[in-house]
Order: sequence, then structure tokens, then C-alpha cells
Amino acid sequence: MLSQLKRLSLEVDGRYASDAELQFMSDYVKSFNLRLQTYQKLQEIESKLIEQTYAKMRSLDPTLFMQGKDDFTSKWKTDTIRTLRYIAVAVLINDPDTLRERFLIWFQTVLRSFRAERTTDVTYQVLQEVVKQDLTPPQASLVCPILELTRRSLGLTSS
Amino acid sequence: MVTLINTQNPVKLKYPKKHNHYGFREFFTFDADKGTIVDWNEGHNLLTTEDFIIGLVEGLQEEVGDASAATMYVIGCEWGQKDAFFFEKWFEKEFDRNMRQASLLFLLETWWWPFTSQGWGRWEIDMGDRKQGFMFINIFDSAVARTLGDVGKPVCFLYAGLFAGFFTELVKKQLSCIEIQCYSMGETYCKFLVGGQDRIDAAAFWMNEGANARDIEKRLRSGDLLR
Repeated sequence: MLSQLKRLSLEVDGRYASDAELQFMSDYVKSFNLRLQTYQKLQEIESKLIEQTYAKMRSLDPTLFMQGKDDFTSKWKTDTIRTLRYIAVAVLINDPDTLRERFLIWFQTVLRSFRAERTTDVTYQVLQEVVKQDLTPPQASLVCPILELTRRSLGLTSS
Repeated sequence: MVTLINTQNPVKLKYPKKHNHYGFREFFTFDADKGTIVDWNEGHNLLTTEDFIIGLVEGLQEEVGDASAATMYVIGCEWGQKDAFFFEKWFEKEFDRNMRQASLLFLLETWWWPFTSQGWGRWEIDMGDRKQGFMFINIFDSAVARTLGDVGKPVCFLYAGLFAGFFTELVKKQLSCIEIQCYSMGETYCKFLVGGQDRIDAAAFWMNEGANARDIEKRLRSGDLLR
């Protein structure tokens, strides 16, 4: 939304915007209640989502949280909570571009430097399954594409 | 009269430990009244045009001729050495730990991020051959090469110096750097080799003989050096 507004203000220079150019604003207004509910729901179930994702990933492959002999579970939790909060804002303001520019591109380089792409890939794959249990299908349809964008940016396909 | 420059970045004031602060409006604080651009690490920045880069490169060429490449390299070296100290300070402040205690790749990614925000281009570092005493750095969108365009030869001597200076300070061992592939040679990105002087000399010799970056990589990996 913010990126789209910025683009609109640059494109509509000294003229009025066309109906087609304004369409995204009415789409946003129509989706706002759902976005707000989804944002609040994500806030409410944040710790549950993290715990369920952790449990599921551990049962899939306990080595996902190990780096050599070190267990980095607590670092994983801090990072995943932070990312989830950025994702929640991106859902609320409908702005995956800003998420990518301000967070994902930077975080990709950090995760790569710790060779954490495999764990990250599984995290955002599992999170997509986990959110579907607590969110309604329309809510999940807002969150899952952003989780997938996050997986593609930070996970194995990012290399 | 001494003017105190207000370096208070509003985002930094509120979230001093925020690490992903490399967006244009987060990294830089623009003070229109004072005419200053101060970055997150309190470095003073100047905006320059591509004309400035052309002026610098061509002006130097006119003044010192063929020595201009070496001059740019030396400027880069000094910049890199100074930046290593500057980086050490801000890294310690931001991460509450000495940079020597950090993971090397993370440290290097963190070092380059301000340069990315400042328009020097994105990088990719290949440390696979570190134990053999050399490594490669790719620069996408070099400010110098992008400005000068396809001139058929490497032009990013400033970057090569910057890497040589920074890595020399980082590892406390004299290192050099050479650009073995450049956007200004019609390639899609620039590639630098960092290592000891013997390897850089060998790479320079092979380049003169017509070797490309891939040939140089292959010869270095096979342990081929000038006798």
C-alpha cells in the first residue's frame, strides 16, 4: 500500500489519476477489516504459532536447530518472532515490497552468512501449514503469500 | 564558529538496537536546514552525480596519466584502512561485542551494508579459497563502472584499493587486490581477487596475457604461480 501510494504520487504528476490507477485504494479499503482482524489474530496467537512450528520442525528433523554442537533454538525463536511481526505489518498495510526492501534483503545476507537457509526454508513452509489451523481461509489467504515470499527470499531458493 | 551537527536519527533514538536499518530513509538523516546528510553510524555523507565520478577519473588521468589507476588504488587503500577502524567502533557499539568475536561472514556482510545503502553496489563474497590465501568478491552495479560504461578495460581501482586496505587491517597482514573482471569490459558484474602480492602479480600477468576471470580462478586453484 505504501509503495503503491508512493508510486501513484510519482506517476500522477500534474494530472488526475484514472479510475484504474485508483483501483488499489478501493481494494485496500474493502480488505481493511479483514487485514486488521488478521493482524490482531496474528498478535494473539504469536507464541502458539511459534511453539507449534517449533514442535513440528523438531519432529521432522531435530538437527534443524543445531549448528555443529550448538543448539540455536532460542536464536531461531527470536528471529522467527521478529520476522512474523514484520509479516503481520506487511499484511496489515498490504505492502510486501516494503517488507522485502527494508527487511528481507538484509536478513537474507545475515542468514546466508550463518548458513541457516535450510532451517529458514522449512520454518516458513511449516508456518504456512500451522497458520491455516488458526486462521480462517480468507485470513490465511492474506498471510500465506507473504510467508511464501519470505521463504523464497530467505530459504534455500534465495542462494 | 563551530556548528554542532544534530546527528539524532529519529529511528535510532527509538530503536537503538535495530539492525535492519539500511532503507534510504532509515539509514540517512537529512537535515535540510543545516544541509547535512548523516548516516546511521554518524558518518557524514555527500551526494555526488555521475559527472563527479567522470570528473574525478578523467581529471586524474589528465593530471597523472597512466598513474591514475595506481593513485585511485592508493586512495582506496587509505579509505579501506580508515574504514576498518571506523567499522570496528560502530560494530562494537551496535552488537555489544568485539568484531573479532563475531562470525567472519556475518562481520563482512555487516561491513558492506552501509556501502550498499550509499550506492556502491551489492556484493557477494566467495571465501571458499580463504585457506589457500585468496578470495573473490563480486560487485554488482559498481558506481564507477556503471558511470563510465563499456570502455573495454577494468576501471574500479578505487574498489580494489578499498578491499585491499580493509582486509589488510582486518587480518593484520599485507593484502592486495586486483579487479579481474569489470562491468566496463562488457561483463555483467565486477570481480575482484584479494590475496598476497605474489598472487595479485600473477593474476595481473595472466590478465595481460589475455586470461579472463575464469582462467585466473582455475590457475590459482590449481596452485599455478609465477616462478
